Amino acid sequence: MGFFRVWAAKVKGLFTRQREDHEFDEEIRAHIHDLTERYLRQGMSRANAVKAARLQFGNVTLLQETQRAQRSFLSPAEWWGDIRFGLRMMRKKPGSNAAVIIALALGIGMNVAVFSFVNALLLRPPAVVHSMGSMVELWKHSRIAIDMQSYAPFSYPDYAYYRDHTQSLEGLLAFDGDGAQSIWNRNGQGQVVQGQLASGNFFSLLGVNALLGRTLSTSDDQLGSPHPVIVLSHSFWQRELASDPEIVGKTLVLNGAEFNVIGVAPQGFTGLLVGTSPDFWAPLTLQQQFTQDKDRLTSRQEFWLIVAGRLRPSVDRAKAQAEMRVFARQLGKDYPDSNKDFDTLIYPATLVPGPYRGYVEAFTGLILGVFVLVLMIACANAASFLLARATGRVREMAIRSALGAGRARLIRQMLIESLMLSSIAGLAGIAVAWWMAHLLLELKPAAIPLSISVPLDWRVLSFALVVSFATGILFGLVPALRSATVEAAPALKDETQTAGLRKSRLRTLLLIGEIATCVVLLAGATLCVRSLMHANSIDPGFDTQHIAVATLDPSTLGYSPAKIDAFYGRLLDRVRTLPGITAASYVSHLPLGTSREATSAGHHVAPDPDQVRVDLFSASPEYFATMGIPFRRGRDFTSKESESPDPGVVIVNEVLAQKMWPGQDPIGQRIALGGAKTTSEVIGEVKAGKYRTLGESPVAVVFRANPPEGKRTLVVRASGDARPLLDALARTVQDVDPLMAVTDSQTIEEYMALPLFPARATGLLLGASGILAVVLTAIGLFGVIAYVVSQRTHEIGVRMALGARETDVLKLVMRQGLFLTSVGLLIGLAGAIAAARLLSPLLYGIGANDPATLAAVTVTVTAVAMLACYIPARRAMRVDPTVALRYE
Amino acid sequence: MGEKKSDVLQGTLDLMVLKTLHAMGPLHGFGIARRIEQLSEDVLQLNEGTVYTSLLRLQQQGWIKSEWGTSDNNRKARYYSITRLGKKQLDLETENWERIAGVIGRVLRVERQG
Repeated sequence: MGFFRVWAAKVKGLFTRQREDHEFDEEIRAHIHDLTERYLRQGMSRANAVKAARLQFGNVTLLQETQRAQRSFLSPAEWWGDIRFGLRMMRKKPGSNAAVIIALALGIGMNVAVFSFVNALLLRPPAVVHSMGSMVELWKHSRIAIDMQSYAPFSYPDYAYYRDHTQSLEGLLAFDGDGAQSIWNRNGQGQVVQGQLASGNFFSLLGVNALLGRTLSTSDDQLGSPHPVIVLSHSFWQRELASDPEIVGKTLVLNGAEFNVIGVAPQGFTGLLVGTSPDFWAPLTLQQQFTQDKDRLTSRQEFWLIVAGRLRPSVDRAKAQAEMRVFARQLGKDYPDSNKDFDTLIYPATLVPGPYRGYVEAFTGLILGVFVLVLMIACANAASFLLARATGRVREMAIRSALGAGRARLIRQMLIESLMLSSIAGLAGIAVAWWMAHLLLELKPAAIPLSISVPLDWRVLSFALVVSFATGILFGLVPALRSATVEAAPALKDETQTAGLRKSRLRTLLLIGEIATCVVLLAGATLCVRSLMHANSIDPGFDTQHIAVATLDPSTLGYSPAKIDAFYGRLLDRVRTLPGITAASYVSHLPLGTSREATSAGHHVAPDPDQVRVDLFSASPEYFATMGIPFRRGRDFTSKESESPDPGVVIVNEVLAQKMWPGQDPIGQRIALGGAKTTSEVIGEVKAGKYRTLGESPVAVVFRANPPEGKRTLVVRASGDARPLLDALARTVQDVDPLMAVTDSQTIEEYMALPLFPARATGLLLGASGILAVVLTAIGLFGVIAYVVSQRTHEIGVRMALGARETDVLKLVMRQGLFLTSVGLLIGLAGAIAAARLLSPLLYGIGANDPATLAAVTVTVTAVAMLACYIPARRAMRVDPTVALRYE
Repeated sequence: MGEKKSDVLQGTLDLMVLKTLHAMGPLHGFGIARRIEQLSEDVLQLNEGTVYTSLLRLQQQGWIKSEWGTSDNNRKARYYSITRLGKKQLDLETENWERIAGVIGRVLRVERQG
């Protein structure tokens, strides 16, 4: 108890130091003054009285010093002295200090960079939202599906039911998870903007007030009579409308209809979903103005709403969960067709939707774990560097302790030095992190419509601070304790220092640990990089060069089917006349993208037990030629078939042909697609490719002849580089219809960044970790061996004087290093085999325990270790016995 | 070394200061020094500065508290007074002291035997 009170008083003393010093000086002065007065009254002369008073009071300066030390932890002068001394020590060996700092900075920096993503995705609450803690998110969970497929957002009728019946929630808001991409008619020119449909209570429930005007209200969002109003995001208002202060009350033309701007959202507000940053919000019930889907507001089969609510103060999550379960059961009873197998789960509302959090956590956790290991290697390096230096400073410590420095004082001195190293490294690490985070964001494929902001906010900065501090203590404490227990007498006697492995057991252990960790990291890195190479070399089944793609959706402009047809026809004609284009076509969606359509295929229209699941694409003539997909048999669609509303012909891929008509010619066979009333004739068979992911096993695919009326992707084949075509394509679209705008216009190389993203991201991150690990370990090994050699110079000199040859010395030193390496290697390989299992879901085309990888790692680590030992060993070899013996 | 001497003194000085404040009520440092001087009848030759070290220690333990007031000769002075916690501590230490003094007294009184 007393101990804590004194500490509390000392902590307080830290802040009141100046005032206390001043008051204390006053007190002393008054006391001495009173004593002097007393002596004067006793008849002493003034000079004698002052002297006597001083004598009786004692040493004032000493008292002030002890008082200051007692009042707080240390006098500022002492801190400053230690720091200055530390700086001097650092300047003495700038090279090795710099090496330690750089290693730590990279280690800390990578950790902070990864943490800044963890923060951006998982920790940071949505900006501007009022008391996020009481917000919860609802997700439908199917009892019969597995994994991520089992989670679904809400349908509109379900949302309305929950909203109207809940007692445990203050209110329930909804917004569409897909976003409402629309075309803004900006003075006769089309421009693509991103919208989000939101329920009328969206802003009020979140406690978000408009910067200008007002936000959406429930009267704007009435089923059947929605108001055509929008709230603009701050960034859109600033970027596109030059922060027009008079914007409220003006209208924007979106998708051919007028919308009243009723307000501007506050700065920083981007809604509740990570990765989205809408340009505007519109009432949910305006849904049909934004998508062509006519039943979204009535169907219970369309899951598109992300639903969140605010808990009433008296209600906890478990209670609310119980209520939601009751609703789910009730709806399951009332609408068995759509709701039978669904439960409703409740999650805390966060930027990453509840069901996905686990996956994001697992992935970022893995990466963070990897970089913590890298940091550990850097720490081990720093610790063995300090240990080596401490051995060199035994005499200094002995002198200090002989002169009366206490153990605590010595430890403090050493810790200040290590903390100085780590805080310099921490500062540099923040710079590394900032740079690294930007690099990682660059890697994100343009096709993912995600805008993630990765701010270096207070959470990231405090993480950096804590990591730097912890690192400093971690690598500094043991060397500090070591050097503080120095026995003054023997150290001061001029004892010859010898350093074999046994003399520095701790450093040996550190080094073995370092090598083992390095092996684990390097194995992981090699696996990921090899898997990336595999992924790059996987044949997607189409050309990945000389193709440009662009997405179009004229249906958002509210055009009639005839007008859309005309537009598409004219556009294709114009595009085909562009110079440098050899082929052009439309497809419903590209393989390996984010969209997918699937159905079943059988031999007859009637239920067929042999029917197979197929992925479905719709393509115009010349699609296969444009994409470089070869025909195995048969022919392409004709333009007549493409224009017919019911062409009755399809093209299949090899996989489907093999499945449905093994050993037969599929051309001329009939196929019944799910939901169709008649069968279609197979007119062609094309080479199989990859359709969903690069790592998938073969997928059966059917191509239909007529791409949809709405959204299509234009694919164009260039005779050379496709990049210069992108501008020409965008211009041509605007020439054909000034109101239209292309989205996602990119080369096929850029498009392929999307399917390759997971492999590239892990490859880059783990590759970096592996390289860092090898470099740091090599530095560590080099440092330790070099140190051992320098300590053994005398011994080596004696050996050589007694007739040892240079090669004997070389062997002696190398043996030591390689022994350590092989122990570390063995432990590391065992660790790598255990750890590789964590990686296996991220790997393409190789097993987690790939023998070639392990062999390569063994060879690399051994080679690096030999090099790291060879340089100091050569120095040992060159030792001149006469110099070495004179050295002491 | 002087340090050794003050180590011995430290505990007793704290006790004396505490007792003085208990007996006399709020006092400033000079007053405490005078009182101890008076009571010790010049047996204890004390650097009066150490009184302040003792005062700070006691204050950090929460056994005494201080506030600024005006002294008899109309100057600003810091007055120290004992706290409730300090009174409890004083009782404890007094008891302790008496027990130890008793033991030591007995030990010293023991006649050389046989």
